[in-house]
Amino acid sequence: MKDLRIDSVKRKQKVKLTVNGRKINAYEGETVLAALIAAGYKTLKKNPVSEEPRGALCGMGVCFECTMAIDGVPNVRACMTEVQEGMNIEFDE
Amino acid sequence: MSNLKNHYHVLIIGSGFSGMAAASFLADYDLNILLLDENIHIGGQLLRRIPEKLAEDSPHPPEKIKKIGYNFVEKVKEKKIDLLNKTVLMGVYENNKVLVERDRKETFTFTYDFLLFATGARERYLPFKGWTLPGVYSTGMLQVLMKSWGVLPAKKMLIAGSGLFLFAAAYEFLKNGGELQGIMEQSPFGNKIKFLPQVFHQFPKFTDGGRYLSKIYSSGVPVKYRRRVLEARGDKQLEEVVVGKVDRKGSLIKGTEKTYSTKALAVGYGFVPSIEAPQLAGCELEYSQQKGGWTVKVNDRMETSVENILAAGEVTGVGGAHKSLNEGKIAASTILEKWGLQSEAFPPKKVKKLQKKRKHHLSFVRCFNSLYKVKPESILEIPDETIVCRCESIDMKQIKEAVGMGCADPNALKISTRCAMGKCQGRTCAPVIYDILQILCRKTPQEIGLFSVRPPFKPISIHALKNFSQ
Ligand SMILES: Cc1cc2nc3c(=O)[nH]c(=O)nc-3n(C[C@H](O)[C@H](O)[C@H](O)COP(=O)(O)OP(=O)(O)OC[C@H]3O[C@@H](n4cnc5c(N)ncnc54)[C@H](O)[C@@H]3O)c2cc1C
Ligand code: FES
Repeated sequence: MKDLRIDSVKRKQKVKLTVNGRKINAYEGETVLAALIAAGYKTLKKNPVSEEPRGALCGMGVCFECTMAIDGVPNVRACMTEVQEGMNIEFDE
Repeated sequence: MSNLKNHYHVLIIGSGFSGMAAASFLADYDLNILLLDENIHIGGQLLRRIPEKLAEDSPHPPEKIKKIGYNFVEKVKEKKIDLLNKTVLMGVYENNKVLVERDRKETFTFTYDFLLFATGARERYLPFKGWTLPGVYSTGMLQVLMKSWGVLPAKKMLIAGSGLFLFAAAYEFLKNGGELQGIMEQSPFGNKIKFLPQVFHQFPKFTDGGRYLSKIYSSGVPVKYRRRVLEARGDKQLEEVVVGKVDRKGSLIKGTEKTYSTKALAVGYGFVPSIEAPQLAGCELEYSQQKGGWTVKVNDRMETSVENILAAGEVTGVGGAHKSLNEGKIAASTILEKWGLQSEAFPPKKVKKLQKKRKHHLSFVRCFNSLYKVKPESILEIPDETIVCRCESIDMKQIKEAVGMGCADPNALKISTRCAMGKCQGRTCAPVIYDILQILCRKTPQEIGLFSVRPPFKPISIHALKNFSQ
């Protein structure tokens, strides 16, 4: 296992994403959250009230802890969004 | 979208086992049906699998019940049903009207003759100090990551909470080459053994229960019972987890605290029905700890208190795939009968049989959910500085103070503290807050009541609102 992807899953098409200006690899059919976790991202934002770091909790669209700007649209849940070639992802500051 | 109709004979919310079963039976008749689900993939919680787009087929053949489910999915895809993924029900209004948002790009309204809520359940949480640190996940997220996307949250981790899903998640993690540092189960060992046979029967994931447990035990992973997570620690991300032993009442035994060094923790405390949409539609709800908390009240034909609105699956009581499947079928038979269609699939004798089966499932539901009963001590011992509402960062101290000032119901508490007002709109904290209020105010769940819901009940995107079509 090179990253956190399970080896026995034989992936098909590689895509590139830009995360806060940095390029990462992902695979078509993954969610943005899965690609981020696989690439080692845990902290996804600061809570606007406490300013503490936060990361994904539920992975299935309930907690809204994974919202970020995806291709310029703010407040999108990373766990409910499929990756696309050239996608631009920016975490909320 | 141009190919959608403005009016549907049947509108089904949720594509899990229950919604899918209902849709696949109704699809044989000349009815206009719309099935929608918020998820990228249809199939709900149980029928998650690595998407075709992502990777080649899994070498593991699915269990029997999953095969039934996948067959439903295929059938529904083939039929004339309008199927919308990435589509969220946002509001239910008078005159049989609903508002939906698709893919954060567009919003639509539809009208219906029959509405079926098959909205399922979500995970229940028990807050502990530091549970907001990145690196603390739900066991559901652990499962979704592995089963839908083929990713591990970490190479090494700890699993904690209560109930058998911990063991299913643990098994999957080990199978995929993860290193499990331990399973910390809150309830005593005896509890589990008592219910095992029935759980294995109802939850297909556990049909190989023996194999699961033996894999876990033979891997040498420490499995500890009567353990509660006391604190997650770390500078910016999870670094340590403190676990303590609890007595029979669920109270921490001082001096038993043990610290584990870990970068990932998955926690799970059972499930709560997703009742918000039916609540908004005015469906009568009923509280039953034995059904998983607040549920939609239905009769034995799956009809709610509102004319022509039905509910099926986990939303009427958390109880596994067989129950959801069976209730989906009953709902379909009721709709056909009310529509005046002669149904070959559901002669009266068959419906009776399904209803009898349902009684059986409900008795299982009662013992299953008693596994997740929240002990007052586990609420009373939550330290003041523990965050309860994550979105608004409201801690236990603020809640206690508001209760002390007389806020004895969720809506008063909301106004006073802003809890449940954040982005998730209380999806995560509401069930916890109901438990906290019950215990602090010494009142029944009925006396405490529920947060009121208003449309849109998930944040709607401005962009989607601009692209509104009637
Ligand atoms: C996190 C989790 C993990 C589970 N894992 C297992 C397991 O491993 N093995 C097992 O046997 N059982 C598992 N279960 C239980 C399993 O869900 C049930 O046994 C059964 O399959 C549920 O079917 P259902 O149709 O009632 O609901 P679900 O399968 O939960 O389907 C409900 C669907 O409704 C959709 N929905 C809800 N609200 C809206 C809305 N407003 N707009 C649009 N769509 C909406 C959801 O996206 C979801 O897809 C799990 C449950 C949960 C919550
Ligand atoms: S991780 Fe909870 S909504 Fe995305």
